[in-house]
Order: sequence, then C-alpha cells, then structure tokens
Amino acid sequence: MRTLRNLQGPALTLALLCALWLIVIVGLLALKPSVFNLGTVTTILQFSTILALVGLGQGMVILAGGTGIDLSVGGAVSLSAIIAMLSLKLGLPPVLLPAVCILAGAALGALNGLLVNGLALLPFIATLGTFFVYSGVALAVTGGAAQSGVPGWLLLWGRGVVAGIPVPFLTLAIPCFALAGLALMATAWGRWIYAMGFNERSARLVGIPVDRVRFILYALSGALAGAAGLVSLAWLGSGRPNIGQNLELESLTAAMLGGIAITGGRGGVGGVFAAVLLLVTLKTGLLQLNINTVWQVGIVGALLVFVLLADRLSQRWRS
Amino acid sequence: MSAVRQSGSGVFSMNGREWSLLVACLLAIAIFSVASPHYATPGNAVTVLRNSVELLLIGLGMTLLLAMGGIDVSIGIVMGLAAIAIGRIVGADGSPFVALVAGPLVGALLGCVTAAVVVLGRVPAIVGTLGLLGVYRTAVFALLGGQWLSGLPSSLTDLLATTVLGIPVPALVIAVAYLTVWLALRRTPYGLHLLAIGNSEEKARLSGIPVIKVRFLTFVISGVLTGIAATFYVATYRNVEMSIGSTSALDAIAAVILGGTSILGGRCSLLGTVLGVLLLRILQNGLLLIGVPSLWQPVVTGVLVIGVLGFEAVSNRLPLTRFQRARA
Repeated sequence: MRTLRNLQGPALTLALLCALWLIVIVGLLALKPSVFNLGTVTTILQFSTILALVGLGQGMVILAGGTGIDLSVGGAVSLSAIIAMLSLKLGLPPVLLPAVCILAGAALGALNGLLVNGLALLPFIATLGTFFVYSGVALAVTGGAAQSGVPGWLLLWGRGVVAGIPVPFLTLAIPCFALAGLALMATAWGRWIYAMGFNERSARLVGIPVDRVRFILYALSGALAGAAGLVSLAWLGSGRPNIGQNLELESLTAAMLGGIAITGGRGGVGGVFAAVLLLVTLKTGLLQLNINTVWQVGIVGALLVFVLLADRLSQRWRS
Repeated sequence: MSAVRQSGSGVFSMNGREWSLLVACLLAIAIFSVASPHYATPGNAVTVLRNSVELLLIGLGMTLLLAMGGIDVSIGIVMGLAAIAIGRIVGADGSPFVALVAGPLVGALLGCVTAAVVVLGRVPAIVGTLGLLGVYRTAVFALLGGQWLSGLPSSLTDLLATTVLGIPVPALVIAVAYLTVWLALRRTPYGLHLLAIGNSEEKARLSGIPVIKVRFLTFVISGVLTGIAATFYVATYRNVEMSIGSTSALDAIAAVILGGTSILGGRCSLLGTVLGVLLLRILQNGLLLIGVPSLWQPVVTGVLVIGVLGFEAVSNRLPLTRFQRARA
C-alpha cells in the first residue's frame, strides 16, 4: 500500500484504472468464460474508437479550464454523420465524404467556440443548447430514419481488421491520442492549455492567447466528433441520427475517470484512453451477460458521480 | 447591492423584459390564429394552459436554482420517478390523499440526493446532475420494467380536477407556490442569501451567509415543486410512460432564461418565468398546429436558449442609449 500511496497524478490514475479493469475482466471471466476470444477484443476496440475520439475532444476542452465543457458532442457526432450522408445524396463526390464529415463536425464545434468565446456564454449552457439543436436537427431532417448509401471502399476501411485490431482504431484513434499527447507534453500550445486551465488570469497576464486556444479546442472537439461520426458511417454502413446518444455522458465519464480535473489544468490524455477502454469493456461485458442496454447509462452515470466524489474525498484525505 | 435591488420584479409592477414577453406571447397568438384555423379556439387555449401546469412548477424551482448559479438537468426524470411512486399508489387503489403526499416526498428525497452530491460533494451542478440523470433514467426503466403504467383509476383525478370558488385546483396550487416563493425571496433572508450566492459564492461565504444550507435547501425546494408537478401529471394523464420528463429540464431552463433570470446568478424574475413558460408552450402548440413535426421542438427550444442569451450578451456590450443613460 505504501507504494500506491506514493503514486501521484497520472501514475496513480493509471494504476487505479488498471486495477478496475482487472476487476471487470475477472468478474466477466467468472460469470461467462466463453466471452473471451479475439472477436470480443475486436468488438471492444471497435466500440472504443468512437468514444475515444469524442472523449479526447471532451478531455481537452475540460483541461483548458474556464468551466469548459462540451455537452454537444453526441449531437455533433449524429449531425455530422447525417450532414455527410445528405450531401452525398445531393451529389457530393463520394471521395469527399470523410472530409465533409470532419469539416461539418469542426464547424459545429466552432459554433460552440464562438458562443463561449465571442458571446462569453457559460460553456455548459451554450453547449447544452447546441446539444439539443444538433441532435434535434439530425433527428428532424431525417425523420429518425437511417441514411444508407455509404460507399464500399469506406466500409472496407471501417470494417477492416488487422491482427484483431480494427483498422479505424489503428489509423484514427491511436494517432489522434499520440498526437494529442505529444502536443500537450512537448509543444508550447500544450503547455498553454495546462497553464490556462490551472489559472486563466495569470495565463492571460503572461500573454497566452487564451481565447484563441479555447476557440481552437472547441473546434477540435467538434472535428473529433465529426471523425467519430465518420467511423460510425464506415462501420455501420449507414448514418444513424441517434448514433451520438449518451455520448456526452460517456465522454464526460471517460475524461473524469481518466484523471482530468473538472476545474481544468490537471490530467492527461493517457488516462482518458485507459478510461475509454475500461468503460467499453464494462459495457460490452454487460451486453454479453444479456443485461438490458438501459442499465449501461445508469452505470456510467453512477461511475461519473462516484469519480467526482472520490476526487473530492481524496483531496481532503491528502491535505 | 444594485443587483439585489433590481432583483425579482414585484407581483404587479412589470419591467421591460416582462412587457416584451407579454407582447411576444400576444404576437405569437395573433400569428398562429391567422396561420391555423384550429388555433384560436377555447379548447386549444385550455390545452396550452393545461400543458403549462407541470412546467410552471418545475420552472419555479429552476428559477431559484439558476438565480443561485446552479442547475439541475435531471429534474424531468425526478418528476418521472415521483410520478411512478404516485402511480403505484393510485394503481393499487390507495388513498388519493396518500398519493398527494407521495409526490412531494419523493421529490424532496431526490432533491436531498442531488444536493448531497452537488452541494456537500462540491461537484459542479451540471456534471453532477448529468451523472444522476443517467442513474435516474435507469431507475425509471427498472421500476417500470419496460411497460407503461397506464389505465390508472381516476381517484386522484377526481380530487384535483375540481374547482375551489370557481378556480381550478392546479391554478390555485400554482398561485400559492409562486406567492410563497415570492414572499420567501422578498421578505426573508433566504432571498437575499440566494441572490448573493448567485452573484458570487465566494463573497457570500466570506460575508457569513450559510452558503451550504441555502444551496441544499434550494435543491430540496426544487425537488418538492417537481413532486407536486408529478402529482398533476398523473392526475391529468393517468399513465406514466418510459420517456416521461425527457424534455422538461430543457423546457424549464429555456422558460427561466426567457423570463430574464440571469444564469450568471444574482437576478431572478418569477413573473418572467410564468411568461416564459406560457410563451414556450404557445410556440410549441402553435408550431404543431401549423404542421411542424414535433421532432423540431427541442431544436426550437435550444435555439431560443442560445438566441436569448446571445442577444443579452450582445446588447450588454452595446453602448447605452441616451434613454438608458438618463435612467442609470
């Protein structure tokens, strides 16, 4: 226990997440040993790709502080997928589908950034509003119907598996996290994000372009949501207007579980990555045990509340 | 203290925001009356008022929460859970008077849970209540088991569909609730404390205001009001479906923001909330009648929220007009 108590910050988070993950795995093994095969691993990673991309954007927005939060991510995932599919129907060359999907997401994120920065609205209320607008528009323009017609070559990418690992996970999720981790650790922009999250006032005083960084982060969160929408298209073969359901809750939980402080300035993307894998393993396990999917949202919600309370308690315990 | 002085309009004196809301309501009614022949009927007016009952009560609690710088996005599902409790009692032919107590009681209990997480656990209200929203949604599913609670006996309905001195019971209850909260805001320290916390929690704490007690109490009040709303819901519809209350939180937030209560805290208007609820319901009902699919409703509400806040932000930044300077 002594070593565990000496662990600090990211190392402690990772150790705790690994322990939790092992508990989930052992529990699953005990309840249903047949679950474990390469197919399950592929499924878990496939589901993880979407949540990983969205969770990364969410984590970066929260990390930059200023009560930053992006509740619209789920709506942005749905709407960017729907925009891409509808523009395909309107005669867009299929080659441009990925670009349109990601750009649509970036535009939706930029709108959030504009509301938060330009109009100085509180992030949670601005993105709560856009959440209902984005997800509502996605449902309303389609009437709730899935939009089919994804080109075959995109399905090849989305459903491809290399050595048990889905191709989107290899080519999109991992590079995005690697880049984000590098940027946070080794570039001035990354240090700015931590600085403004830790103390925005002093960050402004030393000349960090706080507003510009924040705007870019909201746009980035949107672009990552667009990328997640693209993955859903390439994997499922159709644009579903409700694909982003509950992603705001799940991505928040992933970011908080991953050790990012809700006040910003503390945490890293490695933890978020581990937390995403943990969450998806848990969800897949519940699915395999034939537990109704409605239980997932409750368990994820309970995890979120638990993590936030545990964070407060551990702070009091340390001081 | 200027923020406190201008807080909470009087019952009879209306400020500019409230006048413009009233005009907006009348304008919307006029436009919809021209656009749809089914709009300007007594039956439809009753429908709009009927649909506003729950939102008026939930919105009252949300007004206090937002004025305090808080929020509760789980409030709609809290109404669902309270409605399930009431429905079970009514469904088992229990006394309707027990059912009357059950709603506020469940609401208060869940308000305590929310307050324990958000206030005692010092968790940002939006994140804490979002987590609880997930938990409550699963609870609704688990309690209903995937089936509607329907065909409830009319014992509760008979009790609440009556009139007292010619005034319908719901209208009476709403009037009493608003008057009580208005008195609490204007005539007791609670109101001053609430608005001070909304202005700056840190300064409120430093000046000796019992911040934790006031915040806890406000979440419980909001829960009780939501429990009352659930009672009227069950009495009217006599069923509880899986999706109960899924848009109530957004509707309530939109109505309160429309009404001029500041989300940054420190300013609240009860009359504004009433007019905000009415305007929202008039718009939703009217759009439905002129043939806009109901799927667009959350879009309209979301645009209203962002639009009003954006308009306020822009107009605050513009230089004062000569008229405003003269008044300032």
